Amino acid sequence: EPALSKGNNCLDAAKACNLNDTCKKFRSAYITPCTSSTSNEICNKRKCHKALRLFFDKVPPKHSYGMLFCSCRDTACTERRRQTIVPVCSYEDKEKPNCLNLQDSCKKNYICRSRLADFFTNCQPESRSISSCLKENYADCLLAYSGLIGTVMTPNYIDSNSLSVAPWCDCSNSGNDIEECLKFLTFFQDNTCLKNAIQAFGNGTDVTVW
Amino acid sequence: KGRRGQKGKNRGCVLTEIHLNVTDLDLGYETKEELIFRYCSGSCDAAETTYDKIIKNLTRKKKLVNDKVRQACCRPIAYDDDLSFLDDNLVYHILKKHSAKRCGCV
Repeated sequence: EPALSKGNNCLDAAKACNLNDTCKKFRSAYITPCTSSTSNEICNKRKCHKALRLFFDKVPPKHSYGMLFCSCRDTACTERRRQTIVPVCSYEDKEKPNCLNLQDSCKKNYICRSRLADFFTNCQPESRSISSCLKENYADCLLAYSGLIGTVMTPNYIDSNSLSVAPWCDCSNSGNDIEECLKFLTFFQDNTCLKNAIQAFGNGTDVTVW
Repeated sequence: KGRRGQKGKNRGCVLTEIHLNVTDLDLGYETKEELIFRYCSGSCDAAETTYDKIIKNLTRKKKLVNDKVRQACCRPIAYDDDLSFLDDNLVYHILKKHSAKRCGCV
């Protein structure tokens, strides 16, 4: 195994992207707005989100998922994976809103509303199924998850040693809705269907689906 | 029609590509990412325009000995799309107009 541990799948995916004209073009097309600071902001978040949606719409999953769902053995790799969506612009914000408030603002937007619904449908965990997914379809779950990138519900990896993901929100100040809020957040953070789907793509174990 | 004829003469000037590490470019970036670099090479000997013919003729007749008048060069006439990469310190960079897309004798 030591020879394998030297590999960095996320770096390999980035290399492969830049050797492919389509992936290279749409990657630069989101890196540019997501890293350009404006007079009083880190970036134009709206333009960054739009270009990220375009990247996942136009680039074949082989390349886009390759960078987003690469499997890692060290922090150099996981940090690169976390940087894929340029979180300082697309993800982080000055304040962390309550997740239920974030869900409300998502529901006011047509794209966000429908993609969030897809995510809850296609990544629904089911402990009794072999895949851990109610729908038994990893590709649909990953498509729904990546579809949220570029909406106000943009998710990202929350730490460097697990596949836990979350949108930029928490459940403080939930009042009576604390259980509903935690249920929502847990669907992202502790979702065995989504984790297995990411792992299967990263390991190339579910190749027939792609 | 004439344009196509001229282009045909300069078949020597073509787009060529090479697979490189970003560090091979010596632009000061520390990264392990890679790229396809495309460049223009080949001869532009066949005169393209009447202007080029006159320059050639005048040079041959030594009427322009004191001036460095250049003949057409094989150069990019359009550039490839931007290239972005993440460096070893997790900072993104973008290269613009770094690689050729089309070549011409200009």
